Amino acid sequence: MLTSTFSRRRSSPNRPLSRQAAGRGSLSGPRWGPFLLALPTGANADAGWLPTPAEFHDIVASLVNPAWMLIPITLLAVATLLWSWSQRRQAARRTRQLQRELNERRRVEMALRESEARLRDVTEAASDWIWEMDENLRFTYLSERFFALTGIAPHYVLGRARWELAATDSDADPQKWRRHRETLEKHLPFRDFVYQTRLSGSHGEGRYLKVSGKPIHDSQGRFMGYRGTGTDITEQIKAEVALYQSELRLRRIIDLVPHMIFAKDRHGHFLLANRATADAYGTTVEELVNRSHHIIHGVDEEVERMLADDLDVIESRTSKLIAEETFTDHAGHVRTLQTMKIPFVEPGLNETAVLGVAIDITEQKRAKEEVARMRLYLKNIIDSMPSVLIGVDPWGYITVLNQPAEQAGGVSWETAQGRFFGDVFPQLKGQFKQVRQAIRHGQPIKTPRMTLDVQGELHYADVMVYPLRADSASGAVIRIDDVTARVRIESMMVQTEKMLSVGGLAAGMAHEINNPLGAILQGSQNILRRIAPDLSQNRAVADALGLDLNQLNRYLQERGILRFLEGIREAGARAAKIVADMLSFSRRSEARFVPVDLQDLLETVLRLAASDYDLKKKYDFKRIAIRRDYDPTLRLVYCDKTEIEQVILNLLKNAAQAMAEEGTPAPAITLRTLREPDYVLIEVIDNGPGMDDKTLKRVFEPFFTTKEVGVGTGLGLSVSYFIVTEQHNGRLSVTSRPGQGTRFSIRLPSLRKALS
Amino acid sequence: MTSWVLIVDDEEMIRENLKAYLEDEGLGVAAFESATHALGWLRDDSATCRVCIMDMRLPDMDGNTAIRIFHQLYPEMEFLIHTGSSSYSLPEDLRAMGLDNDRIYHKPLGDMAPLAAAVRALAISREIQP
Repeated sequence: MLTSTFSRRRSSPNRPLSRQAAGRGSLSGPRWGPFLLALPTGANADAGWLPTPAEFHDIVASLVNPAWMLIPITLLAVATLLWSWSQRRQAARRTRQLQRELNERRRVEMALRESEARLRDVTEAASDWIWEMDENLRFTYLSERFFALTGIAPHYVLGRARWELAATDSDADPQKWRRHRETLEKHLPFRDFVYQTRLSGSHGEGRYLKVSGKPIHDSQGRFMGYRGTGTDITEQIKAEVALYQSELRLRRIIDLVPHMIFAKDRHGHFLLANRATADAYGTTVEELVNRSHHIIHGVDEEVERMLADDLDVIESRTSKLIAEETFTDHAGHVRTLQTMKIPFVEPGLNETAVLGVAIDITEQKRAKEEVARMRLYLKNIIDSMPSVLIGVDPWGYITVLNQPAEQAGGVSWETAQGRFFGDVFPQLKGQFKQVRQAIRHGQPIKTPRMTLDVQGELHYADVMVYPLRADSASGAVIRIDDVTARVRIESMMVQTEKMLSVGGLAAGMAHEINNPLGAILQGSQNILRRIAPDLSQNRAVADALGLDLNQLNRYLQERGILRFLEGIREAGARAAKIVADMLSFSRRSEARFVPVDLQDLLETVLRLAASDYDLKKKYDFKRIAIRRDYDPTLRLVYCDKTEIEQVILNLLKNAAQAMAEEGTPAPAITLRTLREPDYVLIEVIDNGPGMDDKTLKRVFEPFFTTKEVGVGTGLGLSVSYFIVTEQHNGRLSVTSRPGQGTRFSIRLPSLRKALS
Repeated sequence: MTSWVLIVDDEEMIRENLKAYLEDEGLGVAAFESATHALGWLRDDSATCRVCIMDMRLPDMDGNTAIRIFHQLYPEMEFLIHTGSSSYSLPEDLRAMGLDNDRIYHKPLGDMAPLAAAVRALAISREIQP
């Protein structure tokens, strides 16, 4: 830029001068001058001074005609005439020549004067001055412009050499001056030598001068000195320095900017780049500028994309914002940039280039992503909670719902937002009071075991209202935990406790009850035996007393005494069974646990059940279709064989009894086994009448029975439950629906788990 | 010489019922309410007693102790245990005497026939053995 301004400035004053010179030259240049002068002069002279051929003929005729005598005279006269004519002619020619010379001189003088004046005008008017040096290289002449332009009085200069006037400058750059001196001493021409003179003119500080010169030689070729022109370029230099400084300042500013600032032409060459850009490419600004993007940056895909954007901007001449683009810096770090590309016309270049500002938004993007990730993570957390979470503002309007809440309310968070929670969850309407109170006192409020109707089913829920702690957000979170399962388990545990207390009670009273029961049972057995007519001892005593035993027996039968006795026996037996069942509700440490083949066990139970045909119980096990669905991979189970047999037999009997009572058309029982990761599953599935919810809930309760009075003890299932859950650490569960059969599932710990 | 069956039980009706049943079975039965009484009878009477049906809860001592004493005095005597306690289990020293779980009969006995059969079997084995 510096040089281009220079050359422009230099060439512009020259141009008008040369044009002037060319203009004048066409009228009176040195080449055309003599030719123009010669032609018209010759033509005019002949027309005025020489006789035409006709005139000359007339003269000769007149001389011949008068008389031959007159011939000598005439001849003489003619000769005289001819001589004088020629004399006259010669004189006239001389005069003409003189006159011509005089004219010529006058013209040359005029031209010289004109040229001189012109030169003077030019010299005086031009920004340059003329200088001359003698053969000793000392200034001998300076044109007036010198003072006008530099403000330095010529007498400071005349008689001195140039280097004497520029001590500071020569100190600053001695090499420059040495070369200049050599040039001068070799009498060589030079151009555009710039230096700073130490002389300060009226303008103040030292001036910057630019001089050109050529040696002068006389006609013999002796060196006479130098003549040349000089110009004061102080202002120019100052302007350039100012420009340079301003550029430097701008440079510093763009280098300070942490964003990448660059300009590229359409070929991808960097015209400008700031430090941030250079740093990103791992190079210096100097290295980067004027080099191709391709060479600097190795990642082809990115270069192609950026160059395509550049071209797009250049072609369309409209700015483009690239909201996000990836850029791999020299260290291989992938950064995210936000880039603005603006078309601009570089001064001195005809082509449109592109100016780009790229802001590194990697951190912002990462932060944004982190926020988004965190938000998602938090949402994930609250969604993963099994609890229903409802965030509300102090007025009860929903702010947040987690996924279980969305499911419970049958609404999405988006649609529920801003609605009153009581409208979305009508069963929680009553909690608004708690929400207000929790926020007011800053204390959580718990409503345990709230009963909820979930699609017709009774559910229990613990409802907690937590006030929000953060200062910025006031409101509350309603947490609902469905504790139905826990409530059920707790009730089961209560059941078990109940069983255990029954067991404890039974153990305490068994001894006291068993003795009288023994007396009743043994007594009735002895009575029946001692009235039997066939026993020899009976007969002996009867004979001694004269009693007919057969008659007595008939009497006892007639009066129903034998039936009463049988009744006593049965009642005693039942009481004994109840006590025995109650006694099984106690933890026995020395249960006989052994690995048992499960299929064998089930088959044994089926045989036992088949032989259990009982007219009074009105069912025939042989009429029931038995389906076996055994897991072939399952064989051994670690249990107390007789107890598990008792449990399964009890289930089979219950199923058979229920199906018989209901008259199930094609009664069937499926025995199913399945290996589960930690448990062995045994299922007894019937297609009988099933149970309603009310029955289902109480089915394991001790002394609960649906059977007629006297048919069951009401302890069968609770004993089974006790054996499975307490003695074997297993689980016993039941699923049933009225009319859809019943499924009992026994889970016993797997062999591995039980032994570990 | 009659071989007696000895019954020790503090519950009178149990005692009497067992005695009646076994007598009907043709066995000689002596029944006592306590171990002390039984021991007194055993010392006084020269009759040998083959089988003893022992209750566990007695007024003077517990059944296990009575068995140990009886066994010491009459090593040939066999024991059957008749108890009202559901949680009774045989002590090791009694097992060492040859008693096992089959000798235990829980009250109430709805049918005395199995007990009678056991008594008969033990009485006969005792008669054959020497």
